[in-house]
Amino acid sequence: MITCNGGKMTTAIDIRGVTKTYNPGSNRPVKALDNVSLAINDNEFFTLLGPSGCGKTTLLRLIAGFEQVSGGEIMLFDDEIENLEPNQRPVNTVFQHYALFPHMTVAANVAFGLERLKKPRSEIEATVERVLTLVKMKHLGDRRPNQLSGGQQQRVALARALAPSPKVLLLDEPLSALDLKLRQAMREELKQLQKETGITFVFVTHDQEEALAMSDRIAVMSDGEVQQIGGPTDIYEHPVNRFVADFIGDTNFLDCEIVSIRDDLVTCRIGRENLFEVENTGGHTVGDQVTLFLRPEKISLSALDTKNGPDTRPGKVANIVYLGNQTAYTVDMGDGIELVAQARPREDGKLPFAFGEQVAVGFSTRALRMLAQ
Amino acid sequence: MSDQEHALSAPNKGKKVLPVGHYRGLGAWTVFFFVFLYLPIVVLVFYSFNANRTVMSWGGFGIEWYLKAFENDGIQKAVWNTLIVATVSTIFSTAIATIGALVLARGGNFRGKTISLGLITLPLMVPEIVTAVAVLIFFSAIGMNWGLGNVIIAHITFCIPFAFMPIRARLEGMDTSYEQAARDLYASEWETFRFVTAPLLMPGIVAGAMLAFVISMDDFIITLMVGGAGSTTLPVYIYSMIRRGLTPEINAVCTVLLFVSVAIVTAYWVVSKKSQTDTVH
Amino acid sequence: MNAWLPKSVAGRRWLGLAPSYFVIGIFMLAPMVIMAVFSFLEPNPYGGVKPEGSMAAYVKLFFEYDLEDKLVFNPGYINIIFRSFQLSLGATLACLAFGFPVAYYITLQPENKRNFYIFLITIPFWTNLLIRTFAWIIILGRGGVIETPLLAAGIIEDSLRMMYTDGAIAIGLTYSYLPLMVLPIYASLEKLDFRLLEAASDLYASRLEVMTRVVIPLCKPGIIAGSILVFIPCLGAFIAPNLLGGGKKLMLGSLVQFQFASARNWPFGAALSMLLLAVVVVVLIFYARAAKKQAAIAGGS
Repeated sequence: MITCNGGKMTTAIDIRGVTKTYNPGSNRPVKALDNVSLAINDNEFFTLLGPSGCGKTTLLRLIAGFEQVSGGEIMLFDDEIENLEPNQRPVNTVFQHYALFPHMTVAANVAFGLERLKKPRSEIEATVERVLTLVKMKHLGDRRPNQLSGGQQQRVALARALAPSPKVLLLDEPLSALDLKLRQAMREELKQLQKETGITFVFVTHDQEEALAMSDRIAVMSDGEVQQIGGPTDIYEHPVNRFVADFIGDTNFLDCEIVSIRDDLVTCRIGRENLFEVENTGGHTVGDQVTLFLRPEKISLSALDTKNGPDTRPGKVANIVYLGNQTAYTVDMGDGIELVAQARPREDGKLPFAFGEQVAVGFSTRALRMLAQ
Repeated sequence: MSDQEHALSAPNKGKKVLPVGHYRGLGAWTVFFFVFLYLPIVVLVFYSFNANRTVMSWGGFGIEWYLKAFENDGIQKAVWNTLIVATVSTIFSTAIATIGALVLARGGNFRGKTISLGLITLPLMVPEIVTAVAVLIFFSAIGMNWGLGNVIIAHITFCIPFAFMPIRARLEGMDTSYEQAARDLYASEWETFRFVTAPLLMPGIVAGAMLAFVISMDDFIITLMVGGAGSTTLPVYIYSMIRRGLTPEINAVCTVLLFVSVAIVTAYWVVSKKSQTDTVH
Repeated sequence: MNAWLPKSVAGRRWLGLAPSYFVIGIFMLAPMVIMAVFSFLEPNPYGGVKPEGSMAAYVKLFFEYDLEDKLVFNPGYINIIFRSFQLSLGATLACLAFGFPVAYYITLQPENKRNFYIFLITIPFWTNLLIRTFAWIIILGRGGVIETPLLAAGIIEDSLRMMYTDGAIAIGLTYSYLPLMVLPIYASLEKLDFRLLEAASDLYASRLEVMTRVVIPLCKPGIIAGSILVFIPCLGAFIAPNLLGGGKKLMLGSLVQFQFASARNWPFGAALSMLLLAVVVVVLIFYARAAKKQAAIAGGS
């Protein structure tokens, strides 16, 4: 499939100012989506990420047509679709719990959409075989859904949604019902499948790891609003606000006051003498209260001795959480500051630092970032 | 894009799209359904307050037919018979159903469980007229003629499954962990039943008894066939009144019987709703 | 511990079940066996039977003796049986057509409303069938609720003569057993996963196809159960044919009652009951097989 249109990305789905209110007119209306606008490019693996209740599933259901918008427009390529019935929209959905028809065989499930589209029998058979092969389920075409494992049902759901060659494939937390190992394997496969088919995937999840691993772009949502849209590294490294920084990965937040601003550096202070220097992103004045954030993996811990460089500060190990491949140390820096840092285990498997031990905490100025709000 | 183009690309614009699975006219159909279901009852109650002698022409509001019905000796006798039969058969059928349900719901799996279940629910599956015929033939074959006793025995038999079902449903909805907790806290088997199972089961037993009572009170065909001259119950009496010709008195009696049934079923509903809320977490 | 209880678990089980077995065994099962025996005996003209074996009751279903005492085919009873099946089937289909959309509508409602609707449906069911059928006389009868306003408005000039017709019986039967159709259908619709409807719609099924391809196939057990629950009592119905059919348009149930109350031909009544019972057994076997098949589909999911 061609993704470029005169050197410019084609927009597959354009959400324009979409609002969704449940129970409008009642005494307790619930605003699930508030004036959401976003554009999803063709041939893109796009993820809607957010905690439960953030509106991501609602947005997906609006695109699929299971719910009707309260305001705004949804464009699919150049067609306005928000007033079409689900069966009139050339998009297909992989449901969270698969929603396979229990009274039909695997093959009949996959053929269902093609039959509704009145495709000729020969074409239906060929397509069913092709997509079942694609998801490695060809040998189980005669089974009923209840005779399949969760992972197998997942594949059938995928095949069923892919069979009619939708313009966009919508996936509603499709991996959430699978166990960890299978989930990780399916991530790879889904990503692969998206590349092979060239179909735009819109993937809904609350699992940030899943989103980072699979997506071309991610929209982080909260309270019915889009907080940030960007590629995985953008979102992780340059979150626009505290919510995004907190939701994606583990983070240390430092609430502090700006004490001086130079050309490219801002100096912030917590308590009496804990000073932090951070890149100047502009728009701040001395005396502003700002929040800095620092990812735990960007902090290095070392034994406190004379070899410590000038950019390290002393701290005391206040808590240890052993996680196997790494250990999370909470370090008390004084002035009420506690930083969480990650340290790899030593080769002999022993923990590098003990509870109460004094350690040197090091991180570079570039690792520290200031949040917009 | 201009508005016209919008209209072209969105054919359903302006029309409210129903959610998936919703269909136009279902609500109206349901209203019609309930009118059909309740119209006869409303009509009956309405005409029971007719002051006119003929059943169907309205002659103003009056309660004289109720008064007349209460003075009718035949009706009085029939009411007594109905109450005796319903009360006695409710007590026996509920007791029998309760222990049966305890075994089938708490006795684990055993050989003959399915058969036992089938036997207890047998009276539900056999057409009433067949039950009536069979019981009539049986009493005649063994030469048993206890008048009202015959009717009561027949009623106990077909009331058992009606009492059984809510009790069993209640037991199956009841977590065995309550009983296990009691045993764990040093209660003997009897104490467990007395202080845990029985109180929790009570709403089910009450519900079962109510259903049995209503079923017995409303039964017509079996009583008609099995009952002799002296054991006329209210439904049988009403039937003979209808055969003799329509009078507003019938409406009055029917209305009273109707309200007793509705009151009991409403009470049953309240009891079973309450029992749902205090065990379902 | 209660000393009177048997020590073994099995012993206690059977002790608990004994009263049920005793009552239903003696007063239900045994009578049915005796009824089967009676159907093979000679009738006593004063009621009861003579202890002589005979197939007369079953022969009577098809044949009668003409003036020269020769057996000739008599379609009279067969017609009644056929009519009973026809009317029962008609009433069952009417209940289905009338009740299914209602059961479906109730499923779409929020839970507290659903329970209330179900309550409203069960109420008439628990009230006296005789009374409810009698009410239809007031509605359908000459000068009744339907005719009076039509006559007054001059829309009709003469009575519609709705009473004592097959139509009246069919309405009565439909009305009598309608809740028995709605409740099992509702029970199976309630278990329906509505995401399946969305999935079908997502896969280009029209509203009609969502209904015919997903909803109806998946609530087939409820439809079958409801149909059986309506069909069986219709077949043995006595009240509706007697009150609304005027006792002239007989059905199986009223024919049976007639043999005991008036005709005094007990073996023939017993034989007719056996026929009814046979139909029930066939229908239940059909149901058990259908349920087993359905369980194989639904199981595990």
